Amino acid sequence: MHEEIIHTENKPKEKQNYVMLDLGKSPEFGLPAFKQVVKRSLNGELFVGLWVTLREMAKTLFMGGKHTTKYPMEKLPISPRYRAIHNMLRLLESGHYRCIGCGLCEKICISNCIAMDTRYDENQRKEVSEYTINFGRCIYCGYCAEVCPELAIVHGGRYETASEQRASFSLFDDMLTPIDMLKQQQEFQGFGSVSPNADAAIKKTPLAY
Amino acid sequence: MDALVIGTIIKVVLVLLIVSALAGFGTYIERKVLAFMQRRLGPTHVGPFGLLQIAADGIKLFTKEDIIPQHANKFIFSLAPVITAATAFIALSAVPLFPTFVIPESLPLIGGAIVPSVIADVNIGILFVLGMMAAGLYGPLLAGMAQANKWGILGSARTAVQFLSYEVVTGLSVLAPIMLVGSLSLIDFNSAQAGGIGSWIIWQQPVAFVLFLIAGFAETNRTPFDLLEHEAEIISGYVTEYSGLRWGMFFIGEYSNMFTVSILAAVIFCGGYGDLGFIPGSLALLLKVVFFFFLMLWVRASWPHIRPDQLMWLCWKVLMPLAVVNIVITGIVVMI
Amino acid sequence: MFEQIAFYLFSFLTIGLFLVTVFSNNILYAMTSLAAGMVLIAGFFFLNGADFLGVVQIIVYVGAVMALYAFGMMFFNVTKVVKEKNTSNLLVLFLGVSIALLMVIMFLSPIVPEAIFASVPPEPNATNPEAVGMVLFSKYLVPFEVSAVMLLIAMIGGIILAGKKMDQSLTKIEDEIISEKDVK
Repeated sequence: MHEEIIHTENKPKEKQNYVMLDLGKSPEFGLPAFKQVVKRSLNGELFVGLWVTLREMAKTLFMGGKHTTKYPMEKLPISPRYRAIHNMLRLLESGHYRCIGCGLCEKICISNCIAMDTRYDENQRKEVSEYTINFGRCIYCGYCAEVCPELAIVHGGRYETASEQRASFSLFDDMLTPIDMLKQQQEFQGFGSVSPNADAAIKKTPLAY
Repeated sequence: MDALVIGTIIKVVLVLLIVSALAGFGTYIERKVLAFMQRRLGPTHVGPFGLLQIAADGIKLFTKEDIIPQHANKFIFSLAPVITAATAFIALSAVPLFPTFVIPESLPLIGGAIVPSVIADVNIGILFVLGMMAAGLYGPLLAGMAQANKWGILGSARTAVQFLSYEVVTGLSVLAPIMLVGSLSLIDFNSAQAGGIGSWIIWQQPVAFVLFLIAGFAETNRTPFDLLEHEAEIISGYVTEYSGLRWGMFFIGEYSNMFTVSILAAVIFCGGYGDLGFIPGSLALLLKVVFFFFLMLWVRASWPHIRPDQLMWLCWKVLMPLAVVNIVITGIVVMI
Repeated sequence: MFEQIAFYLFSFLTIGLFLVTVFSNNILYAMTSLAAGMVLIAGFFFLNGADFLGVVQIIVYVGAVMALYAFGMMFFNVTKVVKEKNTSNLLVLFLGVSIALLMVIMFLSPIVPEAIFASVPPEPNATNPEAVGMVLFSKYLVPFEVSAVMLLIAMIGGIILAGKKMDQSLTKIEDEIISEKDVK
């Protein structure tokens, strides 16, 4: 008996029981081998297999046991930690984009797909003038979301990435939350965000020395 | 040109059309049944219940580019699929497909004509069908050898080994029923079992029936024995380089062979087109054939492949001795 | 009429196919045409009403013998053209002339009709397999049994030749031991 407890973030903890059958050594020659062949041929294990498939067929046909998801019509829910096309978030109070143009995401990007340019605006504040992600190169590692100090660049759930031109995804304005959708903008729970038990994990800096 | 010739030609054309259509329908049924057994849906989008999927597949096959590999032997390469399809259809010519009936007098021109149940009533029907299925091994064999591809060669080597070995089992297993009936004609088999379910040969020859089914699975290249095109080991075996219509002809040949084996099992062991209680004969034969066809799909969904050495082991060390013992016992019983 | 058409069709096709077998430099063509010729020879049996022998011809020659040849041919590259080595023109001449002579004698023999008669006249009421069985188990019983014993001997010999090391499994022997055995 081999028990294993699988820890996953999004699934409840499951217990899986793998039973190793002790078949012993099978005889290779002579009467014992012959007996084993006869026993295995006649004890009907093959018919158990036939029965299982027939039962599944009956379940599928009459009890609605189909497991197919008709994909374009039905979609399975994805995890909040799923790493697909990026979103750029806005500040909830002012509606201004959160990005402060620090360039950390550009630096950390291991596939060199983020390109950004910044300048001073008329108030001598830093403003992002260009921000593109080359999704032909992006490997969706999530480092940019993790390194971002403002939670400005996060991963969204748009996994259907086929499009007629790359520009439909990669411009800053396209990834930015639309200004009229600001009310619906959710705080990001996924990769790189503050973990739910962050407060409890804070320890006092040891100053006793 | 007498009526017999014209009637035969009409029947040949009808059987050709119906069986090649049925082969397409067989692929649809196979996909649906396998899908249900694996809790899937199968084809659903083309037409009602996905029924027009056959037409869509057919159009796709017909319009695909016909590729012949550079170093292949072009003539043999294009000949091989024809051999498979042709032998499968020729085998069907000696198989009874429906009870003999008389066309009603009210019809013009052909009214009153007697339609015999077999296209070519040779008095050695069983042997003819088995011989044609034996000749059918040239399709995969030549296909594999002509395409200059190592997977093809492996596939055709497996073809030769598997078909040659299992022909022995097929022949020996039908020998016992032949001894009981005393004839090689499938019509005689049918009339010998005319007395209802109790007179079916399957009750007297259960071992021969099981052996025939196993060998039939092997000869039609169905799942426990589909080593000829075992994807996990040899890509697609002898059809690796084929595409489009030529590949489709292999498929049609395989499915009409499945029908032939189903009909043979029904006629030799299960009463053929004899009336089954209130069910008329033609419907009874259809039901039996449908059951055997379903059995092939069912087994495909349930059982794993076997290894080539297990295949040979099963044939020569288990099935053939069993068949010989069965013949000897049958012979003794018949003599007594 | 159909019989005559079929006969001449089969004749020309058979001769043509066997000529391809002899003259082709390509193993694949030779093999295929030989097998096809065998099928057409079965056609002659069918034409003469010997259905049983026709089917046996297909099963034995096409289904078994030719398939074994084909199995042997898989050890070669069959798509290549073979370069023939012709060592002795005299031998070719001798064989060709003698075979041609034999053919002429065979074709001419029906001119003397009383020389040809059936040693065992066919039973009028027997079906095909029955007639074959009667001849086999009455007049030709001894040759039949002798050939059966011969086949048995061939089978046992084959098993002994192939089965010397059958109790060893190559997959279970270490590679070094196998290569040592090959050296010996």
